[in-house]
Parts: sequence; C-alpha cells; structure tokens
Amino acid sequence: MLKLEHISKSFDGVNVLNDLSLEVEDGEIVSILGPSGCGKTTLLNLILGITKADQGQIIYQGKDITEIPMEKREFNIVFQDYALFPNLNVYQNIVYGLRNKPNISKTEEVDAMIDLLELRPHLKKGIDQLSGGQKQRVALARTMVMKPKILLLDEPLSALDGVIKESIKSKIKTISRQFHLTTIIVTHDPEEALTLSDRVLIIEKGKISQYDTPLGIVNAPENEFVEHFILNQLIIKRDNILTLFGNVPLEAGKAV
Amino acid sequence: MILTVFFVLFLGLPVIRLLCRSFSGEDGGVTLSVYQSVFQQKKFGQALGNSFLIAALAAGLATIVAFILAYTCYYTNLPKRFKNIIRLAAMLPMFLPTITYGFAIIYSFGHQGLITKTLGHTLPFELYGIFGLLVGYSVYTIPVAFLLVSNTMQYIDKKVMIVSKVMGDKAHATFWIAIVRPLLGTLCGAFIQAFFLSFTDFGIPASVGGRFEVVASVLYDQMLGGIPNFGKGAAVAMIMLLPSIVSICLLQYLERFNIRYKKISDAELSQNVVRDVVWSILSVIALVLMLCIFVVIFVAPFVTDWPNKISFSMEHFVSVFTDSDLLSIYGNTLAMAVLSAAAGTLAAYGAALVTARSRMPKWCKGVVEGIAMVTNTIPGMVLGVAYMFVFSGTSLQNTMGLLIICNVIHYFSSPYLMMKNSLSKLNESWETTAGLMGDSWIKTIIRIVTPNVKESLWSVFGYYFTNSCVTVSAIIFLVGSRTMVLTTKIKQLQYLNKFNEVFVLSLLIFFTNLIAKALFAGLAKYKPMRVTQKLFQKKETLC
Repeated sequence: MLKLEHISKSFDGVNVLNDLSLEVEDGEIVSILGPSGCGKTTLLNLILGITKADQGQIIYQGKDITEIPMEKREFNIVFQDYALFPNLNVYQNIVYGLRNKPNISKTEEVDAMIDLLELRPHLKKGIDQLSGGQKQRVALARTMVMKPKILLLDEPLSALDGVIKESIKSKIKTISRQFHLTTIIVTHDPEEALTLSDRVLIIEKGKISQYDTPLGIVNAPENEFVEHFILNQLIIKRDNILTLFGNVPLEAGKAV
Repeated sequence: MILTVFFVLFLGLPVIRLLCRSFSGEDGGVTLSVYQSVFQQKKFGQALGNSFLIAALAAGLATIVAFILAYTCYYTNLPKRFKNIIRLAAMLPMFLPTITYGFAIIYSFGHQGLITKTLGHTLPFELYGIFGLLVGYSVYTIPVAFLLVSNTMQYIDKKVMIVSKVMGDKAHATFWIAIVRPLLGTLCGAFIQAFFLSFTDFGIPASVGGRFEVVASVLYDQMLGGIPNFGKGAAVAMIMLLPSIVSICLLQYLERFNIRYKKISDAELSQNVVRDVVWSILSVIALVLMLCIFVVIFVAPFVTDWPNKISFSMEHFVSVFTDSDLLSIYGNTLAMAVLSAAAGTLAAYGAALVTARSRMPKWCKGVVEGIAMVTNTIPGMVLGVAYMFVFSGTSLQNTMGLLIICNVIHYFSSPYLMMKNSLSKLNESWETTAGLMGDSWIKTIIRIVTPNVKESLWSVFGYYFTNSCVTVSAIIFLVGSRTMVLTTKIKQLQYLNKFNEVFVLSLLIFFTNLIAKALFAGLAKYKPMRVTQKLFQKKETLC
C-alpha cells in the first residue's frame, strides 16, 4: 500500500499542493484528475521521487520512503512524450534497462511483454518510424521490463486519437491486472479517468476535491467543482452521442 | 570546474594582464599616459575613424546582399537546385583566409588585374584603401550575415503574407509587415556582427589597406612592426576591445526583439514570374560580383608569370609541393586545425552539457554563460596580443599547444551556442527515464545524449576546423618558426612579393576545407553498428 500523509509543496512561494493525504491499495489503478495547473503532475513527481516534498511523508508497504532517492524507490514512469531514445531501435529501447540490471527480467519475460503489447513486428524499426500508439506501447514495454513496484503514467492517452486510445486503455488495464501492479495515471480528461481506473482522485487548486470510485463520483459528486467541471462535461458528451444515434437525450442527471 | 579554471587561466588572466599593461607607465605606476600618447598621434585618431566608417559601410552592404540572397532562397518559386547553388556560393568565402581576399582584390582590380584586363579599363579610383577594404570586408562578412538572415527567414510565419494579401494590403505593405518587420532584429544583428568582424579583422587591411590606416593595422605595427611599443600596443588593443564589447552587448539586447518561432514555416507561395526573375537576377549579380574577385586565385597560379607571361604552367604548384618547408607548414596547419577542432568540440560540448542538461546550481550555469559571452566579445587580435604578454618567456611560447588553446577560446562562443541549442531541443525526460533504468548521469550522456547530437558535434568540429584553417588575427602574434601555419606564411610571403605561392597556398586551404566539409558531413550521417544491435542479432539467431 502507498500512503501519502500531509504532503505540501510550493514553488517560489506558490502553494501547489496543500496538506494532501491519501492511500492507494496494491494492484489498484488510480487516476489523478484535474485541470491544468492543479498540481497533479507535481503529485506524480513527488511519488516518483524527482521532486521533494516540503512537508509530509510518503510511505510504501509500511516503510517511510520520503528521503529515498528516485532510483532506489523502484517505481517507474512513462512520460507523456514517451522519452524514447531515437538512436536505438525498438528492441534496444525495450531492453535498455537490462544493460544495467541484467537479471531483472528473463528473456522469456521480455518476449512475453513484447507479445502482450504486440510489438513483435516492429522490433527492428527506428523510433521515428513508429506511430503514436506504437511509441506508447514501446515506452510501456521498456518500463515493464524493469518490473516496477508502482507504474506511473503521465497523460498516457492525450497524444493519441480515437480507436488507438481505447486499445491502449485496455492494454494498461490488462497489464495492471495481470501483474497485480499498482498504477497511477495523471490525466485531465474525465472520460479517460472514469473509464480506466478503479478509483479517481480529483484535485483542485492543490487540494483533494473527491477521492472515490467512478461510480461513486458519478452518483454522489461531493461538491460543486466535481459536479460542474467533471460531470457536466461527461453529460454533454453523452447527450451529443445519444443525439447522434437518434436517441432522446437524457435530462441532465436524471434517468428517463 | 576544470573548464572554469581553464578559462580563467587562458582568458581572464591574459585580458587582465593586457589591461594592467595598458595603464602602467614607464616607472610601473598606474597612469593614463600611454593612452594619452596613443591619442596624441594624429594617425591613430584617423585610423579609428577609418575603422568605424569602413566597417559600418561594409556591414551595411553585407546585410543588404545577405537579405537579397536569403529572400531569393525563401520567397521565390525558383528551382531548388538554383537555391542550393546560392546557398553554397554565399558560403564559399568562408573557406579562404581573409588575408587572401586582399591579394585577390589586388590581382583582380589592379592595373594589370584580371578583371581590369577583361573589362579593358582600370578603376576610376584608388584600389588600396577605402575601395579595397570595403570590398574585402563585405565579401568577408556576407556569409555570416547570410547565415543569420536566412536562419530567421525560414522560421518567419509565411502565412502572415497570405493573410496580409487577403486583407487587401498593397505589395509594399505586405513586404513590410510579413518580411521586413519580423526580420528587423536579425537584420540589425547581422549588421552588428558584420561590423564587429570587419572592425577587428586583420587579414584584409594587411593586404589591401595600403597607407590607409585602420585600428587593426596600427595594432599590428605597434606589436610586430619596425619599432614595436608594447605599452601602446596594449592600449590600442584595449581601445579595439571597447567597440567590440559594445557591439556584443547590443546583440544581446537585440536578441529580445527577435520574434521566436518554434517551427520552420512553409507555405505555398503565389506564382509570380516577374518576382522570381527580378530576385534571381539580383542574387546572381551579387554573387557574381562577390565571387569574381576570387577567380584570379584559380587562374594566376596556373600561369607562368601573371600578368607578364600568360601561358599555362604548373611550375608554381610544383615549386610549392617540392618545398619541404611549405609542406611541413601545411602539416602544421592540418594538425593545428584538427587538434583545435577536437579540443574545441570537447570544450563546447562540456560547457553546453553543464548549462543544458545538468542539475548544476544556477550560479554554475551563469559562469559558463558568462564565459561564452566574454569569448564572443574579445577580438582575435586582442586575444593574440594578450597571450603575447602573458606567455612570452614561458614554456608555452611558440608552441602548437598555445595556438590550439588560443583557437579554442577565440571561436568558443558560436559552437557553445550551437551545442546548447541542440541539447536543449532533446527530450527533457531522458535522464530521468534512463536514471530509473539504472543509468548514472554520465552513462546517459554517453549512451543516449551524445549519439543524438552527433550531427551538431560534427558541425561544431567542422566550424572549429575551418576557422582554425583560415584564422590569422590572433595567431599571427603567437607563431614561432617551427609552428608556422599557412595563413601566417602567407603574411610572410607578402613581404617577399611571392604572390603565386600565396595563391597556391590559398587554394590548398580552400580545397582542404571543401574536402573536410564533405568528410564531416558524411561522418555526421554515418551510423556505426552498436553493441546492442549486435546483441540483438545474436539473440535473433537463437530464436
């Protein structure tokens, strides 16, 4: 279990995170959702260990890891822009970490991951020959080879379009379930957050607005922010789609 | 850290020493007397005025020509090949030392000159002095101005032009709002850069200045002339440094007015045959005028005795290539250029890594930035004179090592900026990502960052190589008889009136640069087999 206790962080006097406390269960998929500038990326960086908290503790499996440097936490991240290495081909990118820690994954495990993410036909390709979705899968494979204790994903879907988005979504779910892997995802898109995760952490202005299951958020929004900015968006989307398919739109919030 | 010590030792110290020297009287006390006596010389005031005047005129001319060439490249529908020829031709003067320019001008426009003879009459005005300097400086600075202007031009949003036309602007209004206005900062920058280069160049006045004095020639005379006066030399060097500092500060200031675009902008240009023809004619005229003065370099050495006996002959080449002295000088030049390029690339890369890709404290990065700016403001001649003061009598005097250090520092600024620019364009998350996979910072730099900036590294290497090949201003004060290089030899041959040898050596430099450029471009694209690639292949055979 990952526990954050009374975390605060400010940059140049501006308070970005304010006395945040939360828990994430093992094997759970949690989305951090909020508008840009709400502090969600800072929270991700704090968990990863790039940024140090001003106050508070981060506890993992009962151990205080607040002071442990990034490299030793054994968490791993896939960045929004993937940060793939263009001088190496797909396979070289995937096995990059094995040069430093040769025993972390067996060859069969790497092969299995390549097949799971359907990367077998692309192994020899250069990075610039890949589409956005393929890049995302390579970055995921590269990270999974390191067997992270927690997988962090920074806006994993925002650069992808339509169908690809859905397929990456299901890959993320598969991986998390199969490896019982705690997965924390940062996103600004309510649809993504609520359809992908077990629980959603909604942040506004550096504070937790609501932390609940998708169903809980939809059925019982705790405050105006969640209702207006998160749910409203989804309702408009839903109604547009319903209209498109010739159905009578439901009235906001009420079932017909 | 090592980098800082290096720069303190070879940049800070010499300049401070120069400053002290210029203010010390005969008794060793602090005094302004040296400056007083320098300014009391009537000649000096005139030289200073001349320098300002000619440098400004040449810079203006160079900027205009650069604009014409760049405009033709980016705003006409001329065939790509034609544009590539313009780009290449505009760069050619860079491959020749400036000291050659002067001789080429003399051999072209003099009474017996190639162009004079072809046209059938002589120039209506004096060649030595204003005209010669103006032509020389302009040709010298056109490549740099062209690089600056065309670099900005490719980023200017071409769609603004379409919007302006759609809104009903007249042609001149469109020209102003869509092209000149966004370029203003760069045009001023190009002017100042060209001014700075002309003001501090020594090769051109050395050859075609005649009795027309400029600051650079005064400085040379004070240090290495008939009656050397080191104190006055130091003072003149300091006076030369001042306008340089002002122009670089101006450049920094102008930087803020430059409009920053992230993407290279391409938009389809409207069909306009008149426009295309007019601009291509302008460009061709400019290039022909610019390059025609160099034709003589390719003609004179193949002639028995220009201009008296015009028949084909290889004897000058044979005499140069059988002269073991000249061959060893060529060897020196190559060695100096390669070593300067290697050391310079390392220094620029190291410094750029500190500012662009490290987590060093802010003051550390500030120091590196400061060093880069200072190297940019110091003219080669001033650096050379300063080194002369500090290293005369030490074991470094007259060594190849000192020449290399001098080159590394003299040309440091542009390579550093080039490196920093390409490093900061790389993905910011690489170090973190690789760190999470067990890399140390230095491992990531070697495995990931360096391979991805290979092209920039080679172009920095090429920049140092070419400049080391053609430079004369700093090293003229530092070469010894055993470390003589081609450019300083040319200066020596001038005294002996051996101009055919001068041209042969110039051609040697020119073709060396041309070959080197092709070689570096090839190396930049070359992809070696990497260890993991081999590993991968091995694995595949197992599967």
